[in-house]
Amino acid sequence: MLEVTDIATAYGKIEALKGVSLSAGKGRITCLLGPNGAGKTTLMMTIAGILKPRRGSVRLDGEEIAGLPSARIVSRGLALVPENRLVFPQMSVKENLEAGAFQRARDPAIAEDIERMYQRFPRLKDRRDQLAGTLSGGEQQMLAVARALMSRPRILLMDEPSLGLAPMVVEEVFRIVGDLNRDGVTILLVEQNAHLALKVAHHFYLMEQGRVTFSGEPGKLAEDEVVQRAYLGTRRASA
Amino acid sequence: MIDLIQNTLDGAMVGSSYALLALGFTLIFGTMRRLNLAYGPTIMAGAYLGTYASLRFGIGALPVAIVVVVGAALVGLYVERLCFRPFGDSAAIASMVSSFAVWMQIEEAATLLLPRHLNAFPALVAGPPFTLGPFLFRPEHLLMLAVATAAAGLVYWALHHTRFGLGVRTVIDHRRAAEIVGVPVERVLMLAFILASAIGGVAGFLIAATDHQITPMFGMWATTKGLIAMMLGGLGSVPGAIAGGLALGIIEAHMQWAFGPQVRDLIAWGVLFAVLALWPGGLMGSRRLADAAAVQRRL
Repeated sequence: MLEVTDIATAYGKIEALKGVSLSAGKGRITCLLGPNGAGKTTLMMTIAGILKPRRGSVRLDGEEIAGLPSARIVSRGLALVPENRLVFPQMSVKENLEAGAFQRARDPAIAEDIERMYQRFPRLKDRRDQLAGTLSGGEQQMLAVARALMSRPRILLMDEPSLGLAPMVVEEVFRIVGDLNRDGVTILLVEQNAHLALKVAHHFYLMEQGRVTFSGEPGKLAEDEVVQRAYLGTRRASA
Repeated sequence: MIDLIQNTLDGAMVGSSYALLALGFTLIFGTMRRLNLAYGPTIMAGAYLGTYASLRFGIGALPVAIVVVVGAALVGLYVERLCFRPFGDSAAIASMVSSFAVWMQIEEAATLLLPRHLNAFPALVAGPPFTLGPFLFRPEHLLMLAVATAAAGLVYWALHHTRFGLGVRTVIDHRRAAEIVGVPVERVLMLAFILASAIGGVAGFLIAATDHQITPMFGMWATTKGLIAMMLGGLGSVPGAIAGGLALGIIEAHMQWAFGPQVRDLIAWGVLFAVLALWPGGLMGSRRLADAAAVQRRL
């Protein structure tokens, strides 16, 4: 579904991604683990078209999308739930959802989809006319997910959806990730919380210092080692 | 008492043109988060093109209005390409300084086009003032109020009921998030800039058609009035721009009545000073901008 090949992205002279390759299979949850500063968010931003890669390729169902403007990438069916949620703070919950459907222009089904989001996230329905900036962190996370779903993506990129949330809310976020996946959404998930992430993931990659250093399936290999490296970022020889 | 009301009415009518100037300013500031010092001169360029067309080809006020608005929009596009597009969302100071340079450039070009200091500008409606009850009205002022209200209403409607408006609001609220949801941010910025310049053109036409004249000082004058009205209402807020413009007009009218016509522009600067000292965020804009700043810090 999503094929990333040898992507390199730099901020000025600092190369944050030094040739990253990975793939996310259709209908699966692929998880990207790694310590702070490994380049996970840079990778997500590059795939979503917010940052431009120096080299490499990103293919969505075989079509090259690397270097396209984000608007075109969203309309091809890829949506990002960004780190720190980034909802529109001065717009209402409903307006945030409408903004999520921006690329669908005047599609009459947008109103139905908003209703569907309210069914999936009842808290958002209660707060539909409230400014998004006044929601709690958990509610903002639900809104960021719902906003991304409003573009009817084939693949959803989620960047640290549990960041800064209370443990109970984190559990709810992961339940939603599982639910979405059961409904057929392909997910590429960046997560610091390796234990939780490995519970839902079908496949995972470990990123360290701008490179993928390990990949595998949860449970089969040295999970402890991966968890330790995801948290601590040690640079011992890869398994 | 009658004088008080009369002054307020006069002030509101002149203030409606300030409101339009501020509306254009605030659209640019809100979307780009940077000051366009060439905003007034852009309007002046449109007005000069209109004056030139009127003097050279003898066209009437209505075609002149079209020349002014289209001219301002095109010059606005030029400013956007030269001073704003190349810098993306970095180097706000570069945009400001280069817009200052374009200001000088436009003033120079305008005086080359029409070398006389004072040029006649056609009036759209001309007629003696008339009374309604105890109050005196100038037809030009009524027209100014009507057109300004219609233009502001149209902009407000477009912001809330069109896809372009949704795009503008997302960019004002959070540029990075707008990009993430698939708003073509650069295109929205360009269209907002053109729209803002055209609104400025409408205001410039109304003001010049009321004064029946235009000078090279108009650019500077429009920048300061628009800037002060925007600051008064609150940076980047559409309702704030309207309120700020009307308030500035009304304050000026009362002060002019009390202290004489020569203080009018002095008062405007005094108002700016008071606003910056007492409510630096403006009457309606402080919270909103503080929130936006807080969000951006979290990034």
